[in-house]
Formats: sequence, structure tokens, C-alpha cells
Amino acid sequence: MRRFVLGEFSKPDACVEAARKLREGGVTGLDAYSPYPLHGIDEALALPRSKVPLVALTGGVLGALGGYVMQWWMNSVNYDINVGNRPSHGFWTNIPITFECGVLLAVLSIFFGSIFGFFGLPRTYHPVFESERFRTASLDAFWISAETEDEQAVGDLEGKFKALGAHKVHTVTESV
Amino acid sequence: MAETAIEGRTELRPPALVQGEQDDGTLNKTLNAFIWEPPRRGWLALLGLGLAGTGLLSAAVAVTLAKGIGTWGNNIPVGWAFGIINFVWWIGIGHAGTLISAILLLFQQKWRTSINRFAEAMTLFAVMQAGLFPVLHTGRPWFAIYWLFPYPSTLKIWPQFKSPLMWDVFAVSTYFTTSLLFWYLGLIPDLASLRDSSTSRRARIAYGIFALGWRGSARHWHHYKIAYLLLAGLATPLVLSVHTIVSWDFALSILPGWHTTIFPPYFVAGAVFSGFAMVLTLIVPARRFMHLKHVVTPRHLEAMCKVMLLTGLIVAYGYAMEHFAAWYSGNEFEKHVFFFTRPRGPYAWAYFTQMFCNVVVPQIYWTRWGRTNIWAIWIGSLLINVGMWFERFNIIVTSLHQDFIPSNWAMYYPTWVDLSLLAGTICFFGTLFLLFLKFLPAVAVSEIKELNHEIHQGHAGISLHSPDRPLHAGELEGAVR
Repeated sequence: MRRFVLGEFSKPDACVEAARKLREGGVTGLDAYSPYPLHGIDEALALPRSKVPLVALTGGVLGALGGYVMQWWMNSVNYDINVGNRPSHGFWTNIPITFECGVLLAVLSIFFGSIFGFFGLPRTYHPVFESERFRTASLDAFWISAETEDEQAVGDLEGKFKALGAHKVHTVTESV
Repeated sequence: MAETAIEGRTELRPPALVQGEQDDGTLNKTLNAFIWEPPRRGWLALLGLGLAGTGLLSAAVAVTLAKGIGTWGNNIPVGWAFGIINFVWWIGIGHAGTLISAILLLFQQKWRTSINRFAEAMTLFAVMQAGLFPVLHTGRPWFAIYWLFPYPSTLKIWPQFKSPLMWDVFAVSTYFTTSLLFWYLGLIPDLASLRDSSTSRRARIAYGIFALGWRGSARHWHHYKIAYLLLAGLATPLVLSVHTIVSWDFALSILPGWHTTIFPPYFVAGAVFSGFAMVLTLIVPARRFMHLKHVVTPRHLEAMCKVMLLTGLIVAYGYAMEHFAAWYSGNEFEKHVFFFTRPRGPYAWAYFTQMFCNVVVPQIYWTRWGRTNIWAIWIGSLLINVGMWFERFNIIVTSLHQDFIPSNWAMYYPTWVDLSLLAGTICFFGTLFLLFLKFLPAVAVSEIKELNHEIHQGHAGISLHSPDRPLHAGELEGAVR
């Protein structure tokens, strides 16, 4: 059963600082929650570089290639359209749709890649929402959570959170 | 000496982007107040008007579908008329939303933050109106799917991809999808904050569903920031491509008045011009009635007026170049359009309306008075909306009604169906917008909180004083620069 020790901070800087100290102190399973992106939290939690640009690039290149091949195959291979004996494969006239398809696929892969892949959303339940107080995480407070399976570690973690200036400390348990 | 220099600088500082002493709590309350309060009478009255107009739109669409586009005023030679005018007008209006949300983001124009959500919603709703017209114009939209989308039908016929009209299909559908996803990605954190500040169970469930379970995790923000920036980076060339392609619908034909190489940049500038006019038309009353003056400040309005002035000048240059190229070409058909049909023909009144609204009116924004007087801004922006509609009328109807052979010439008059479609889409747009204002945060709350934090943080970074001391207005403003 997963347990989350949650600490609420009222100032963003205090939250970032606490996250950094906790990570340096060897606490694992850390995450922070805030109403807007916190400056410096990526370094504080030592998050690896985001792979969103790679997903976007892959989507964009595949979209553009697919868009071009689609036009070439449909208009000059599968059903050759002859207008005034112009070449059926027109490179320049294929460019606008190639561009649009590239952008479309890049956008779709960024959006759905982020939502489903990177965020793991939509999800109807997450243990942190067990705390009613946690609602402030999207409004005006800053939270840090530490995940642990070990019941003994909870007391120790709560103490650390308080020492770092969290003015509310809650422990929530995942309901099965 | 040094002291006077510092005083001088203080006077030059622009006013703050977020006015008053705000923190995350007060921003939550003030920006979302309109959602939680019971609907006001004015809002209900406008919604009723919008719904009535939407009914008119439905009637006009039904007549068009049942009887065909013979119910429109289109004829030969004026084969394109209100349908395409309205399409170009609406899609142009949409472009300001993308400019504000994407291009100004890349240029780090912080004033965009208060108005981007608003403008993006305007984009979406405007593109929805725009999309209606070409679909109806196909006459039998239920067949249109065969020639508009590469759908593998048993007829084994594919779209003709060398046509700018096909490029338009791809450009507009990509544009709509991108605008929708960009808007929604920006909304997710705000929907979560509405979920968490809701007092009724129903609202909590409704906003909770659309917030998708967002919990503001740093591990998510980490990807979110990059995803948002990349979407902005992609939307920027996209918006330029969309109106460029719209202009190719005309420029790739050989009709005098359409066949010009200046069309793409001139169309894009015109789109942004009309879009900013529409943003101002909507935001001037909205900021007052929704009590958003602390985040949509006179500085924001002034900045928007400056963008209108700039794009208006580009449009005026486009007009001048069109006339010059017609004269310089020596082509008699070109000269006929630009020096006879438009200024002296039967639609000359439309030409002079266009010139007055698009060339003369924006010049008031050279003056500080024009950019700060709320009536000058609002009436000016309304006139520009009208002027930009007439610009498309002149490009389309005036160019078509007198083409190469005088025996082919004919006048164009709109029918009640044409007029109802135009009025109906304006009402439908208004309805969608009113619903948006009531049910979704009209200002990007999470981004404003971040901006507000940056303002304070920016100050703390350069401060020599203790950070606990409350700031006074001058200091706050300094940090915004």
C-alpha cells in the first residue's frame, strides 16, 4: 500500500528549497505540486530532460512524409489526374499540404503524447487527493510529496517536512 | 543630478500589468468571480439575443440545404460572394488569437498573458463560423467529403491536391485542431483550479472531468512548459500559412484584382488587423462588466491599438501597391478594376467605406488620446471590423461583377438568406462567447499567477531591501519592465 507524506508551503521559494534539501538528504519518491510552474523545481528534483521535443520532431517528420507520399500516390500513382497534360507529380504544389500535415501530426503527438504519455492523464484517482486540504495545490499553495511503502519511515519524513517549514503535514494512504 | 535621472526613469516606466497588490488567493477570487456568481440580467439578455440569431442561422442553413445555393444572391459572373467574404472575414478574425497566444509568447511580450485565453477562444469560435461557409457553398455538403478529404471511397477518386481550395481544406482543419488543442492545454490547470475552488458537487464533477485529474505535479509542469512552447512555435508558421493559403484561393487565378503577388503578406496583415479589432470590440465591454480591469489594464489596450496601427499601415501599403501595380502593368483589365470599377463603379460606396475604415480610422491611434480613450478604441475597432468585411466584399464581388467581357457583366445583390447567414454567424459566435465567459476562466489564471509571481520575484532579485517589507506601487511597476 502506497503512502504519501504531503507538506504544504505558502511560498514558492520555500517549496523549491525544501524539495532540494529533501532530495539531497536522500529522500526518494519526491514530487512537488503548484498552481503554476515553479522556477528552479526541475533542478531541485533533478528531473531528466523532457522528451517532448523528440516526440514532436518524430510526429512532424512522419506527418510531412506521410502528407507528401499521400499526394504523390493518390494524384500520380493510384489515380493519375491529367489536367492539360501537366505532370501529375507536381513537387511545388505538394508543399502546402505537406507542411500542414507535418504541423498537424506534430501538434497531435505533442498534445496526446503529453496527456497520455507524459502526464498519465486522464486519471480518476490519485492518492494525493485523499487530503481535502490538497485542493489548495491548484489555487494558492505549494506542496511536496514523498512516496513510501514503509510505515516506519512516515514519522521520520513528517518530521523532516516540518523542519523544512511546511506549515501543514498530512499523510495519505492509497485506498484500494 | 543622479537623483533627477532616476526620477526621470520612474516617469518613463510603463504602468503595471497586474494592478494593485494581488496574491494567488485574490487572483483566484477576482478572475473567476464571474463564473461563480449567478448569471446577470445583461448576460441573460445578450444570450437570448444570441440564441435568437442562432435560430435565424439554423433557418438560413436549412433553406440552403433544402433548396440549394440558388437561394443565395450568387450569379454568373459573381460566383463567389457572401459565402467566401464571410469565410475570409471570420478566419481573418481568428488570426489575432493565435498571434496573441503564440507569436507574442515567443517574443516574450508579457502583456499577452491577460488576454490570450480570451483571444484563443475568439479564434476557435471564429474559425467555427468560417468553416460553415465553404461547407455550405459546396451545395451538397454530404457529397463534399469525397472531394474534400482523401477518403477511400468505392468511387476510387481522390482529391485534386494541386488546387489551392484543397490546400485550404488542410490549412483550415489543421488550424482549427491546433487552436483547439493549444487552448485546451492552457485550460487544464485552470480547470483544475475551478474544480478545487468549486463549492457545489456538480461543478466539482463537471470541472473535474475536463481537468482530467490534473494535480499540478512538478513532473508534469516540466513537460507541460515545453509542450506549450512547442505548440506556440508550431502555431506561429501555421497561422501565417493559413491566411497565405486563403489568399492563394484568389491570387492563383487570373482575375484582375485577384492575380497579385502581394496578396499573401497583405492578407496576413489584414487578418491580424481585423482580429485585433475584434479582440478589442469584445474585451472593452467584457473587462468592465466582468471586473477585469486590474489585469486588462489601459496598457494592454494601448499595446493592442499599436498592433492595429502597425498592421493597418501594412494593409494601407497593400492597397497602395495594388493600385500602383495595376497602373504600372499597363494592363487595361487591371486598370479597369482599380481605377474604374472600384472607385467609380456601382460599388464605389463599398470601396470608400473600406478606405475610410481601414486607412483613415486607424490613424487616430498615433495619438495617445486615441489609444487611451475607451470610446475611441471601441468605436474605432468596430469600424475596422466593418472595413475589413468591405475589403473582402471589394476583392470578391467588385472584381467579379465586371470581368473581361462587358456582355458578361452583372450586378450582385444579397438575398435574405445571405444576410441571415452573416447575421446568424455573428449571433452564434456571440452565443458561444457568452457561454465561454460564464463557464470557463476568461483569463489564464495560472499564467497570471505566474506573471504576478515573476513581478514580485523580479523585484526581489534586484532589491537591496528586506523582502518582507511591503512593496509600493512604483517598485512593482519597475519590475514589470
